[in-house]
Amino acid sequence: MKIVTANRLSDGRVIYAGADNQPVEQLAQASVLDEATAEVVLAEVAARPDVFVNPYLVEVQDHTPSGRDRLKERIRATGPTVGNSLVREPA
Amino acid sequence: MYRYDEFDHALVRERVEEFSDQVARRASGALTEDEFKPLRLMNGVYLQLHAYMLRVAIPYGTFNSRQMRRLAHIARTYDKGYGHFTTRTNIQYNWPALTDLPSILSDLAEVEMHAIQTSGNCIRNTTTDVFAGAADDEIEDPRPWCEIIRQWSTIHPEFSFLPRKFKIAVIGAEKDRAAIRTHDVGLQIVRGADGGTAFRVFVGGGQGRLPHIGQEIASRVPAADLLAYLTAILRAWNLLGRRDNIHKARIKILVASVGLEAFREEVDKHYATLRHEDLRIPEDEAARIQAYFAPPPFEALPKASAPFDRALLADPDFARFARNNVRRHRQSGYASVVVSLKPVGGVPGDITADQMDAVADLAERYSFDELRAAYEQNLVLPHVKLDEVPALWRALHEVGLATANADLATDVIACPGLDYCSLANARSIPVAQALSKRLADMDYQEKLGPVRINMSGCINACGHHHVGHIGVLGVDRKGEEYYQITVGGSPDEQAALGDIVGKSLPADEVVPAIQRTLDRYLEIRTDGERFIDTVRRVGPDPFRDAIYETLDAANA
Amino acid sequence: MLQTLEGGQNGPRLSVTTPLEEVEAAAAVTDVLVLDFDAFRDGRGFSLAAVLRERGYAGRLIAAGKVLPDQARHLRRSGFDAVELAPGADTTAWDRMDQAFSASYQPAVDPAPTIWQRRRAASNDRDLDALADRLNRETAGKDASEIVKAALDPALGLRVGAISSFGAESAALLDIIASENRDVPVVFLETGQHFLQTLSYRTQLTKALGLTDVRLVTPDASEKATLDARDDLWKTNADACCDLRKVRPLARATAGFNALITGRKRYQASTRAKLKPFEVLDGVLRINPLANWDADDVEAWLDENDLPRHPLVEQGYRSIGCWPCTRAVQDGEDTRAGRWSGMDKVECGIHLGRRQVAA
Repeated sequence: MKIVTANRLSDGRVIYAGADNQPVEQLAQASVLDEATAEVVLAEVAARPDVFVNPYLVEVQDHTPSGRDRLKERIRATGPTVGNSLVREPA
Repeated sequence: MYRYDEFDHALVRERVEEFSDQVARRASGALTEDEFKPLRLMNGVYLQLHAYMLRVAIPYGTFNSRQMRRLAHIARTYDKGYGHFTTRTNIQYNWPALTDLPSILSDLAEVEMHAIQTSGNCIRNTTTDVFAGAADDEIEDPRPWCEIIRQWSTIHPEFSFLPRKFKIAVIGAEKDRAAIRTHDVGLQIVRGADGGTAFRVFVGGGQGRLPHIGQEIASRVPAADLLAYLTAILRAWNLLGRRDNIHKARIKILVASVGLEAFREEVDKHYATLRHEDLRIPEDEAARIQAYFAPPPFEALPKASAPFDRALLADPDFARFARNNVRRHRQSGYASVVVSLKPVGGVPGDITADQMDAVADLAERYSFDELRAAYEQNLVLPHVKLDEVPALWRALHEVGLATANADLATDVIACPGLDYCSLANARSIPVAQALSKRLADMDYQEKLGPVRINMSGCINACGHHHVGHIGVLGVDRKGEEYYQITVGGSPDEQAALGDIVGKSLPADEVVPAIQRTLDRYLEIRTDGERFIDTVRRVGPDPFRDAIYETLDAANA
Repeated sequence: MLQTLEGGQNGPRLSVTTPLEEVEAAAAVTDVLVLDFDAFRDGRGFSLAAVLRERGYAGRLIAAGKVLPDQARHLRRSGFDAVELAPGADTTAWDRMDQAFSASYQPAVDPAPTIWQRRRAASNDRDLDALADRLNRETAGKDASEIVKAALDPALGLRVGAISSFGAESAALLDIIASENRDVPVVFLETGQHFLQTLSYRTQLTKALGLTDVRLVTPDASEKATLDARDDLWKTNADACCDLRKVRPLARATAGFNALITGRKRYQASTRAKLKPFEVLDGVLRINPLANWDADDVEAWLDENDLPRHPLVEQGYRSIGCWPCTRAVQDGEDTRAGRWSGMDKVECGIHLGRRQVAA
């Protein structure tokens, strides 16, 4: 199964295509799609470059990234694993 | 240090306007992301894993307290209260919003700073020796030439859309503290035939997927002809460099593929038809810029300092700091002090906004209001009275910036890695932190002496692992983080690329393997031999054995 | 400003991926050339244009293909005249980005003055009076060499030249200048009416001192044709003759300098009695290192340094200008008594302010 992810143009934050292909910030809210539907949604959000920057597909099992990039996708979903960013989370 | 005049001010303000215009056109759809990307990169704006990242230039690493306070202000106002210093003496913010960037750039412009050409396929921030103007082995302060190169290369009409990035570093001493041979062009100030300033020019250095050490293309280019010569080099590469493969686009690949001689001929051909007169640095402009870098008003002081010597005896912690972080100065009674951004278990190069403010105060009070950003991702207060070093140390201690590990094993250079970077294959920070904790014992580190350990989260080598005495490169093996270790690299005047010792190791085996490498060094070193000397003498094999424990296995 | 064009029929086209030699060959046989960018990131076109221009291509150069408005000034400054745009393209963005910066640091193909050039111009406007006062204070009690050294200090950022008549006393000043810097430009007013001995002395002295940049400045040919076609203006109006042959040429020759070293001395004339080592005249710093020298000082210097003498000195000439207006002087006469002798004139005008000369 696939989800569609991108970064948001205005602030660069990680977003996913959720219900009605609206951008959502939580991986848990992303629509989990079959291969064919995922391609359709990807094309749909790619046509909205004012919100979705560099959209692409991520392989998941349920809501957990499972492809080769799973570590990177986990970090994208949950933030840096270490460091000063953890001290002050975004407001 | 250099101060903007009305022209410099106008240019950075106009650059902010231009960038605001580009942001607006991106938002309106007039620019696609593909078109916008190179334009934002030339203003230091990346899109990383979690957010935009802004890389602010600290030209040739020299700045003052007002600028440092502004950096702190930006960290607090637009980011998460910290910044990250890089090997190219820039500072990065990991969380700014695109919509805030024009305001941030305006804030920077007010204090004579910018993010121009800190990324993109153009001429990047020129770097230099962190001890420029303070080192006792320097024949001339390289910073005026860095400033001349900064101005000449800023928004260059011909060289803003190059095959790939182009980095220049300049030094004024035989000892190379700026890794010039790992740059696209490295410049070393020498004395010309007429006794005037001239430049020894290295070309084709660079790290990344296909690393090369720079080769000497010219032994003495007179200072007045420097810009003409750089123009000829860039022009030759801009016309002939590869554009079909991003990994083969740097000038190092062109120089290596045609050979130094053929490349030199190509440069000479362009040099011959350049309009030299236009490119000659006007003597009065060079003099005007040099005047800004006149030495500060030092006091005539004796060589020895009683307060310094008393503190050495009274406090072993200060004595350690003095041994490791205080550097000789050309002016009697003064020293340069390294402010380590490598606390035990910290993120190499990170500094909080409060610490920035504190360092700004200390620079103002103790170092003629001057600060430096170092290649090693540390800061330096370049001109401190020996008498005042103990007070400075106590003040640094209070804000957690007195780690006495400059150039020791825990003074690790590391890129942000997969925690932040969209190019990375593996994390660097957690490995650096684990190593720092493991080697935290200062007595052990001092016993080891100077060892440079470098970590990169991918083959782009932002952590300069190729030229670390010990290099660690993160790789991806079927979705798992692995780390390849190199030994024997060196960024200095004896520049060398490290040897890959064997197959990559899983994350939790890296730190023990490095410690075994260091222990093996302690076993086999001869008197007075530094780690890198021993590697040069015996080669990588003993360290390979230590890393993979093959000897132990054979003995078992 | 970069011109924006529509359509694709503007001339022979080459891709920017074409090797330089082929582009140069094509440019040799056309007076309009279109360079087509395959991708806006492919910056070869900028170098191609710059090289063509620097090697003398004077025809029209047009950019086409994938280029962005944000590259307008890169194109213009690299030597392009125009850009081809798709019909309906937003030309306002092109114009806006072309003019986004009021100045550039580095020289390029376009003729607009660079920031470096503008700084030099601006340095002309600075307070030279204050500088002259300061230098007079700082060099008080110092000798001529130190005055010259102070004027040549690069930290001042002055563009210094010298003027010399290669006359009876000139060798002393030129020797002092040459020992500081032989490359200082020395302006010689070639009035066309010098003694032949002066011209040969100029050659001899230039060589002996190793001066590398002696500039001969002649009167403007068309002015001379109008005012003094028969070379006899001196007979009727010596002031007008000096103006034509000295004052105007000097103004042209020294436009690039904001500081001029002269050999004037207080003792030479009553008009020079209050001369200071540094003074400002018509917005130019005048440096007079020999202001407090007298004839004996000059003589001593020439002797000690074994400098060649002007051939006319032994014939009694003590101050030497153009032959029609110079005569030898008797012992006891003022040194400059032989200049414009019999006229109410002691200065040619190059050392007076502009307003006084215009009268």
